[in-house]
Amino acid sequence: MSENERTYKPPRGGFRRRFDELVPVDWSKLAEAGDEPIPHHIKKWWFCLGGTPLILFVIQVLTGALLAFHYVPAADQAYDSVARITTEVRFGWFIRSLHKWSSNLMIVAVMFHMLRVYFTRAYRHPRQLNWIAGLGLLMLTLVFGFTGYSLVYEQLSYWGATVATNLANTVPLVGPVLADLLRGGPEIGPQTLTRLFALHAGLLPILTTLLIVFHVFFIRTHGVTEMEFKGEEVPEERRYFRFFPDHVMTEMIIALFVLYLLTVVSLIFPAHMGPRANPAVTPAHIKPEWYFYFQFRLLKLTSLQISVALTGLLGGLMLFWPFIDGWLEERTKHVDKIVTFVGAAFFLLFLAFTIWEASAA
Amino acid sequence: MSLTVKRYIVAVLALFLLAALLVVAQQESKRHRQEEGLEAVVTAANKSCVECHRTDSAALTMEWERSSHAKYGVGCYDCHKAEEGDVDAWTHEGALISALVTPLDCARCHAREYEEFNHSHHSKAGHILASLDNVLAEKAAGMPDNKADAINGCWQCHGTIVKFLHDENGEILTTGKENKPVIDPATWPNSGMGRLNPDGSAGSCHACHSRHSFEPKISRSPENCGKCHMGPDHPQIEIYNESKHGIAFHANRDIMALDKEGDWILGRDYSAAPTCATCHMSGYVTTQGVVEGNNHDVGNRISWTLRPKVSHKLNRVVYEDGYKEDYPDSRELPAVGDVVETVDKVVEDYELVSRKVDRTVARIVTWQERRAEMKGACKNCHNDTYVDNFYWQFDELVDLYNEKFGIPSKRMMDELVADGILNPAAPFEKHVQWVYWELWHHEGRRARHGASMMGPDYTHWHGMYEVSKHFYEKFLPAAIEAAEETSHALGVKWQRKIDLLLTQPEHVWQKGLSAEEAEALQREYEERYDQ
Repeated sequence: MSENERTYKPPRGGFRRRFDELVPVDWSKLAEAGDEPIPHHIKKWWFCLGGTPLILFVIQVLTGALLAFHYVPAADQAYDSVARITTEVRFGWFIRSLHKWSSNLMIVAVMFHMLRVYFTRAYRHPRQLNWIAGLGLLMLTLVFGFTGYSLVYEQLSYWGATVATNLANTVPLVGPVLADLLRGGPEIGPQTLTRLFALHAGLLPILTTLLIVFHVFFIRTHGVTEMEFKGEEVPEERRYFRFFPDHVMTEMIIALFVLYLLTVVSLIFPAHMGPRANPAVTPAHIKPEWYFYFQFRLLKLTSLQISVALTGLLGGLMLFWPFIDGWLEERTKHVDKIVTFVGAAFFLLFLAFTIWEASAA
Repeated sequence: MSLTVKRYIVAVLALFLLAALLVVAQQESKRHRQEEGLEAVVTAANKSCVECHRTDSAALTMEWERSSHAKYGVGCYDCHKAEEGDVDAWTHEGALISALVTPLDCARCHAREYEEFNHSHHSKAGHILASLDNVLAEKAAGMPDNKADAINGCWQCHGTIVKFLHDENGEILTTGKENKPVIDPATWPNSGMGRLNPDGSAGSCHACHSRHSFEPKISRSPENCGKCHMGPDHPQIEIYNESKHGIAFHANRDIMALDKEGDWILGRDYSAAPTCATCHMSGYVTTQGVVEGNNHDVGNRISWTLRPKVSHKLNRVVYEDGYKEDYPDSRELPAVGDVVETVDKVVEDYELVSRKVDRTVARIVTWQERRAEMKGACKNCHNDTYVDNFYWQFDELVDLYNEKFGIPSKRMMDELVADGILNPAAPFEKHVQWVYWELWHHEGRRARHGASMMGPDYTHWHGMYEVSKHFYEKFLPAAIEAAEETSHALGVKWQRKIDLLLTQPEHVWQKGLSAEEAEALQREYEERYDQ
């Protein structure tokens, strides 16, 4: 009798048993881990905003994969391949429009989620790391938007990329290296597109997925911040409700609504093609996508260096805000008011700059 | 919100999403139908035009609907839109338009084709207005106040100056509540190849690309060229139909890919036969396997001119502004960089006038280079020896015509003028002038064109046979007759001159064949026909 024959156990029993042997996972424990008790306040809609970017991310991955089947990341073919997707490929216009609108909506959703977390001060100890992870996800979403838009390789996206890499170039120390790394040289060239594509369809999705896993894992392990609202007494037995099926159903409503909204917007405003990128001709009005209007207005109002410095300062403030909040907490009773005031002031400034830039020629 | 309510919301939203997706599917199906050419793309700019004209001129709209233009959303207004100040423009249902679509209008999208055409011989077809052909139509066949023959004949192929009717103050007359400018009915409708348009452009794309379906199969078909390139003076379509090329085309029309969208390349898209377009302007696969040649200048590959009294090889001078000029090989070529005085024909006050323009020579294309380009098409099917030997045969025929009939008859006509027998201001006064006209303009061309396109019967029976018969039987006697009419002394002089000519080796055959030749002929007829 050989060694192999001695250790070999023939499969027995039904399908379920065989499957459990094949995949040795304790499903009941997994279900328990997933079936998180949800605090009652999550029944309020604005507390469900965190799921929306995830839904949109899934849409982006699926539509993005379909677009990648037809997209050619080469300077001389990129524009034509996008044009082909838009005019020739079956449902290409729809998939591209979904991808475009979903990317815009994703930025809005991330911002809304962040605003909710900020104004409810849900970033406080011990959730500082998750705030930072969330901030990372916002950055990734913006870089997704920028790289994706640049891939179309139309005149405005090309020049948008030029301005953006010039901005990156000004960042002290890492700037020039980062800009050269992005462009594949001192100028936007044939290599740039390949790099942007590698980022957009390779590195960024992986990083985002990892960060989302981290973000969700921390939410699950910390538990959702418990909130109580003035004048809303919730009896003990109703303080929590179940993830399945109650909260899942809420997320489904959001997902369906988002899909419906995207479909309708794609039908009414399908993505079209601007003029082909021409490095020899600078357009009269260069404009980035709307979510960089704030930055762009800042750049116009100050100088390249100052706008980059201000952005760096702002980024630092946002990054360390949970700790600043903690520091204030120890010193004053009016933290709530200060946080609300700072947040509102910045958000209004953001809105004002965005609208200003949008209405400028 | 209870779970049940949420379930209802999910159901309602799912239905909404489904409905939206159905609209997406319907849009995609519509797009697909448009792509397949099954449905016209009517853009916002053309919506109201199409809506009215679908009943006002139903077939015309249907023609447009099945065009490639409709497929890509290029509609009525895109071609018919006019600029403020255009003489032919008027506001029709709120849109400034023009009935006349000129090559400049087409150039808005087809810029390359316009440039090529604009410097081609085709675009100069309207210059015929100053030619003997036009004199015959306007004077010989016409009356002082009736040019109907020129209008219905010459101008429909060559084009005319498009004119408007003016009042006594010189203002353009208008009609109707929209004040539509009144076009001179003598000058439009006209789709002549070299039409002289009010916007200063020359030509009519519609001459080949029939509106409003603009089907490629029409412009690629030989019959399309045959509308004008036919008849006693230039029977190209008849010669083509007689040739092996024409026979192959008619037998294989269905595999010629005439309807193919985009490029139509010999050796890639079709192979069965060449059409006029194939040899003179279409792209072909070269012996190096690349596609070359596609050009809207139909004269590019022509190495002989077969139209004048005496044929010449044609070199070409290309100027820096793209202007092209054919130089007969008898004329000395300028050097690249030279400034040369050229002549532009332009319309001023509805008259075609010449204007001198200095142009700088950019490059010279020799007749050999032009022939090489033509041979590129030939070599898709034939080897070098075949093509070279064909050209040897063709050259020999043109040389024969030139040397035996073309040059001597022209010299005699010049001498008749020098002797005061003919009045150059009266080109059709004497019998000899009519005979000579047909000798070179009809029969002589038929022979040369016949040889150029492999039409044996046109080369010989409709060509050289007629040339020689009329040279001996009509032209020479008519020359003596004209001289005699002037004075007996001139009559005697011309009788002697022609007697001397007939003693030349190429003419002595008339006085009798050799004994062997005569016997061989007799034997052949006896053996074959018992006669």
